[in-house]
Amino acid sequence: MDASTTPPAIVKFDNVVKKFGDFVAVEKADFEIGQGEFMAIMGSSGCGKTTTLRMLAGLEDPTSGDIYLDGERVNGRATWDRDTPMVWQSLALFPFLTVQENVEFSLKMRGVGKAERAKRARKWLEKMQITEFADRGINQLSGGQRQRVALARALVTEPKILLLDEPLSALDAHLKVRMQAVLSNLQKDLGITFVYVTHSMSEAFAMADRVVIMSRGRIEQIGTPEEIYRAPYNRFVAEFLGSANIFDGVVGAATPGGHMVAYDGGEVDLPASELLDAKTGDKVTFMVGAENVDLAPTDAGQDGLAATVVGEEFLGATATVFLETDDGQELKVQKSHAELKAVKCHAGARLIAHWAPSACHVLPGEKG
Amino acid sequence: MMKRPSLFSLVLAMPLLVWQLAFFLFPLLFLIAISFWTVKMFQMQPDLSFANWQRILTRGVFWDAYLRTMILATSAAVLTSAIAFPASYAISFKLSERAKRWMIFVLIIPFFTSYLVRVYSWQVFLTDAGIINAALGHIGLGPYPMLNNTFGTLVGMVTLCLPLVILLQTFSLNFVNRDLIEAAHNLRCGRLRTVASVVVPSAKVGLVIAALFAFILSFGDFVSPLYLGGGNPPTLSIMITDITKSGQQWPRAAVVAIMMIATLMTVAFAAITYAYKERGK
Amino acid sequence: MGNENKLINGWLMLHIALCLTFIFAPIAGSFVFSLNSDRFPSLPLGEFSLDWYRAIWNDPLVWSGFGNTVIVGLIVAVIATILGFGGAYTDYRYNFFGKSFYLALALLPPTIPVVIMGLAMLAFLSRIQLSGSTISVVIAHGVMCSPFAMAIIRLRLSQMDPDLEAAAWNLGGNEWATLRHVIIPFTRPAIFAALFITMAVSFDEFAVAWFVSGLNETLPVKILGFLQGQVSPRINAIGSLAFLSTMTLIVLAQLLLRNPNEGSK
Repeated sequence: MDASTTPPAIVKFDNVVKKFGDFVAVEKADFEIGQGEFMAIMGSSGCGKTTTLRMLAGLEDPTSGDIYLDGERVNGRATWDRDTPMVWQSLALFPFLTVQENVEFSLKMRGVGKAERAKRARKWLEKMQITEFADRGINQLSGGQRQRVALARALVTEPKILLLDEPLSALDAHLKVRMQAVLSNLQKDLGITFVYVTHSMSEAFAMADRVVIMSRGRIEQIGTPEEIYRAPYNRFVAEFLGSANIFDGVVGAATPGGHMVAYDGGEVDLPASELLDAKTGDKVTFMVGAENVDLAPTDAGQDGLAATVVGEEFLGATATVFLETDDGQELKVQKSHAELKAVKCHAGARLIAHWAPSACHVLPGEKG
Repeated sequence: MMKRPSLFSLVLAMPLLVWQLAFFLFPLLFLIAISFWTVKMFQMQPDLSFANWQRILTRGVFWDAYLRTMILATSAAVLTSAIAFPASYAISFKLSERAKRWMIFVLIIPFFTSYLVRVYSWQVFLTDAGIINAALGHIGLGPYPMLNNTFGTLVGMVTLCLPLVILLQTFSLNFVNRDLIEAAHNLRCGRLRTVASVVVPSAKVGLVIAALFAFILSFGDFVSPLYLGGGNPPTLSIMITDITKSGQQWPRAAVVAIMMIATLMTVAFAAITYAYKERGK
Repeated sequence: MGNENKLINGWLMLHIALCLTFIFAPIAGSFVFSLNSDRFPSLPLGEFSLDWYRAIWNDPLVWSGFGNTVIVGLIVAVIATILGFGGAYTDYRYNFFGKSFYLALALLPPTIPVVIMGLAMLAFLSRIQLSGSTISVVIAHGVMCSPFAMAIIRLRLSQMDPDLEAAAWNLGGNEWATLRHVIIPFTRPAIFAALFITMAVSFDEFAVAWFVSGLNETLPVKILGFLQGQVSPRINAIGSLAFLSTMTLIVLAQLLLRNPNEGSK
């Protein structure tokens, strides 16, 4: 799996900048989305992800740069002249229309005749399994049913691309997972492009082929979930993932396969492939995933970082242990309960944290 | 979304703008213009004469009426606010949501009755041989003069303002944080002191605006001063109509009207500045 | 409820009752007087009588006045609601240089004293040869009523999901189509309420004025005409009828504003 195998692009952002007055909402968006791809745009609130989506929909105009849809430059083209339907966070269903009238809306706007409208709406109601609610008002539906109406309404024109702006954020956890499966299957089924904006990593990683991570208007990394998870590009992405231990180090003497890297609390031999072309004396930042850190009792003779347990967080079968080294560096370790029990892990306990050199990943975005 | 106004936005925005410019702002500006005109042979002539201004502003009659109108309107505003406050307080703090909604509905009703009809009705109540004096006579009191004096005028003005002032006060009291009051009670602040030192300051903006509306309505009112106050000596509104009737002296009436609008704007500006002034110290 | 005091609450409720009595005494009084035979009713009240109603019933001027009032009310309601809708939508959607001026112009007319508005309009309209016609009344009422329509519709717009309009654009409706298929249906209850209420305001301002002082004068002149003291007890009968018609309109408007989301069949 590699980003280079992406299919022909349906969406292209070419150096797109969006400013609201002095505020830069999107600093420089420069990426493509492939035909039939499920692309997630992820970041915390105010990072520019929704603005990016709205520019694609034609609800905002870029301040500079170009946006291409299906090979055509669409800057300045009104949203009603694009075929980029959107599923809204609030769903934005029309409360004064019935379910079927909602679904027919965009056909009506395009001048499709009454009989044809009803036929095509029926097809989508069926597909979304909401035929029985066709004549109901929106206020008589449950959250999950409304979601399906919103999807049917957006898809009824059979567009090549569907935009989704945090559509699941209002649902409870259980329904959310079910709707994720619905969306995922739907996208595969239809074979069209989904652009999905979310602040939730689990949503993005569960559904998307590729993920764009944004912060403060900037794109921090684009890649498949595995790529991002295994090889975060910079400190922001690594921290966003939440389970990374990050160390600043200095490249030292050469070793047969690479270089020694010295960091607060120790030294590690990193392979040249990880270090890319870093030379002796360069500063590097590397991370170790919490699940790749092992713990040992202080008397086991294990080399590593001595640290004190300051807290634990249980997550089902595993737990995340928070430790603090004598230098004040925080460590996160994710282990099964049995493993933790074996080393007598409890608040205040002193343990040795250690990991294999192969568990280290240098963040390429932090070099120099 | 759009940088330059679209046809769509203009079609929606312009009718109201044009209408109010042409039929609201322009007549008011025209009023300013004619205050400099002269009247010859019962005909207004465009002119640039300060004679009307000079004539009105140097007359003791005008300033007497001005002072009288100010005092009447201020009294009406204070009186109405004082009468309204306990009622608004009770509606906002003591009634259930349902009762509150009903009360608001009931208080809106008077807006849809003619003020003139109500004042005419008060006349019947208040004359020397009227209903109230007749009732008082039965228990050996009166008759008290209640019509054609300041009392009558104020009855009319309070009638005009009371529903609006109660509504505005109630709305602003509804926004007072209930926790503040509990906190005050908790700090052993007595009931009356809580109202004076917590409730009133918290709702200050609304209370001042309500009083301002009472002032504006009473200041411009001509029905009560005429029908319940007797019309003599005149208030500014009555003066305007008197001048208008006497030989097409509209330019002079315009001077009085402009003085009234200037006064209203000054009072409104002062009241709003005061209402929103930081409650420091 | 340790802080409740029955005595104080009792006094407060009594105070509310007294305020309501004061507010509604003249309204109720006018009803009673309209059904009373005395020209100047006092205690004890005279006999029950429909004389005043009969008098207005038999007065052809009242009838033509009534017709004119209804026509003016209808025209004013439509004009004020259209103007108010445009203003409310403009305020809802757009930010522009001079917006506070726009809003002041739109909303201030009711705060200008009637006498001054009357004088200004009379002077202005007679200058442009429009005084004395029904059109002048429509113009004056349009100015006074459109702020009410605007406020009612603006309130409704602020209850709208801000994404709703953008969603309609996104689904292929241009601004005109969206106005027709989304904004107007959503605000429909408020539009009807505005129609009724502006008509009621026009009706009330107008009815009494019209009936009392004849037909060939503008509204401001009529208001000035009152000052010559031509009021007769018939005003009670006319006022009561006007009040009943107005309340009917208001109740209808209220019913429309309730359950605004149940619009579709």
